[in-house]
Amino acid sequence: MKTAEMELNREVVSEAEWLVARKDLLTREKEFTRQRDVLSAARRQLPMVEVDKEYVFDGPNGKETLSDLFDGHSQLVVYHFMFGPNWEEGCKSCSYLADHFDGANWHLPHRDVSFVAISRAPLSKLQTYKKRMGWRFKWVSSAKSDFNFDYHVSFTAEDEEKNKAYYNYAESEYTNDELPGLSVFYKDDKGDVYHTYSTYARGLDTLVGAYNFLDLVPKGRDESNLDFTMEWVRRHDEY
Amino acid sequence: MKGTRRKNGSVKTKHKIGTRKEWIAARLDLLRAEKELTRRSDELAKRRQELPWVKIDKEYRFETDEGKASLADLFKGRSQLLVYHFMFGPDYTAGCPSCSAIADGYNGVAVHLANHDVMFWTISRALLAKLQAYKKRMGWTFPWASSFGSDFNFDFAVGLTEKQQRDGGFEYNYNCEGPWEGAGEGATTFAAMSGTDPATYVRERPGMSAFALEDGIIYHTYSTYARGLDGLWGMYQWLDRAPKGRNETGVWWRHHDQY
Repeated sequence: MKTAEMELNREVVSEAEWLVARKDLLTREKEFTRQRDVLSAARRQLPMVEVDKEYVFDGPNGKETLSDLFDGHSQLVVYHFMFGPNWEEGCKSCSYLADHFDGANWHLPHRDVSFVAISRAPLSKLQTYKKRMGWRFKWVSSAKSDFNFDYHVSFTAEDEEKNKAYYNYAESEYTNDELPGLSVFYKDDKGDVYHTYSTYARGLDTLVGAYNFLDLVPKGRDESNLDFTMEWVRRHDEY
Repeated sequence: MKGTRRKNGSVKTKHKIGTRKEWIAARLDLLRAEKELTRRSDELAKRRQELPWVKIDKEYRFETDEGKASLADLFKGRSQLLVYHFMFGPDYTAGCPSCSAIADGYNGVAVHLANHDVMFWTISRALLAKLQAYKKRMGWTFPWASSFGSDFNFDFAVGLTEKQQRDGGFEYNYNCEGPWEGAGEGATTFAAMSGTDPATYVRERPGMSAFALEDGIIYHTYSTYARGLDGLWGMYQWLDRAPKGRNETGVWWRHHDQY
């Protein structure tokens, strides 16, 4: 484990003085919570786009369409888990995120949400890795589909050659064949499927519960002296 | 969002359908707002780190799987300690369903934090044997200590006495409460699900506290309560991205083995 020597605030005060500072911070925290509620409401105001392409995935029950993945619910959340066809293991950072959503997913189906992770690696690889990590969520393979490319989380040899990638709603340099993201779909009463939302990069930040906890401790995320964000993260069986 | 409510309290969406081009324009606009909020969150985290510290002079004793432990012992060699104050009073027969849903979200987190200089404990007032049995039932792996017989929960404003409940004067979430006026629908439901009466149920409160250990001295650095825990409640961060959002009028969640 690489530990960074952090400059900590060491001002030690009486409880009464602390309370004054804490109440001031509380006002700001409450303001932030309300801003987040407003943003969540704005997110629900986005228009929806009909999905007219047929996507077929390899799942534990055989071939499944995007519509099948709703599993009787009207909302589908897809986590685009980085696990390319030639990879031996799932991405370390996505695995870290998966340690969070596996628990949240106990509850999501009870608010009309079906949750599925999708990757391009073949199903057998996904299943072996899922077993190793002890996860319960549903994981399907998009190996034979355009799905990952259409939702801008997988990149082609041509992208690599041109050193270009469209990711997080902008053109940037090519970094990897797979990148992380989250997409949301809605199915209406007639069975038509719509794309409502996708987010990438730091848009996934609040879904990493460990960061939300680290934001509350004295050293914070404690990553500024590391070579890259999440350098300290390991698969949970590799610590 | 415009919508009609179905009988299960779930919202039926009536939504604007657009072309991909229209969606992208709206999405880029929202992206700017999302980025701004992410930066505000970073700013707020920085302010949290700038809070002064308070030295802890009192000795607290806990029961853990490895036997008796002091607050310093709970750091287990790390310099930072995070405590989730899980509502499980001595008279409960099961943990609070809301705290349980929060714990479902953080169960996978503790192992990562332990490798990043943060020891993460869950602490409740129920006897250790009860906590252990319930943890097994829920399939959790995080460390859980009992503060039974200690002032810990009272000192960090997540437990109140019957007298405080009757007379008022308890400070929760940095706000002084009046005498208890009876439980609402949510607390009544959850009290029953926790195997206790509403008055006993609400004498435990949810919260989170952070501590630092330096040169053998322990400092209290931060505590948060009520909606201050919202960002730590994993399922809400996911629901906030679904078309119907949190989609709730009251309490809908259950212990995960009770759906």
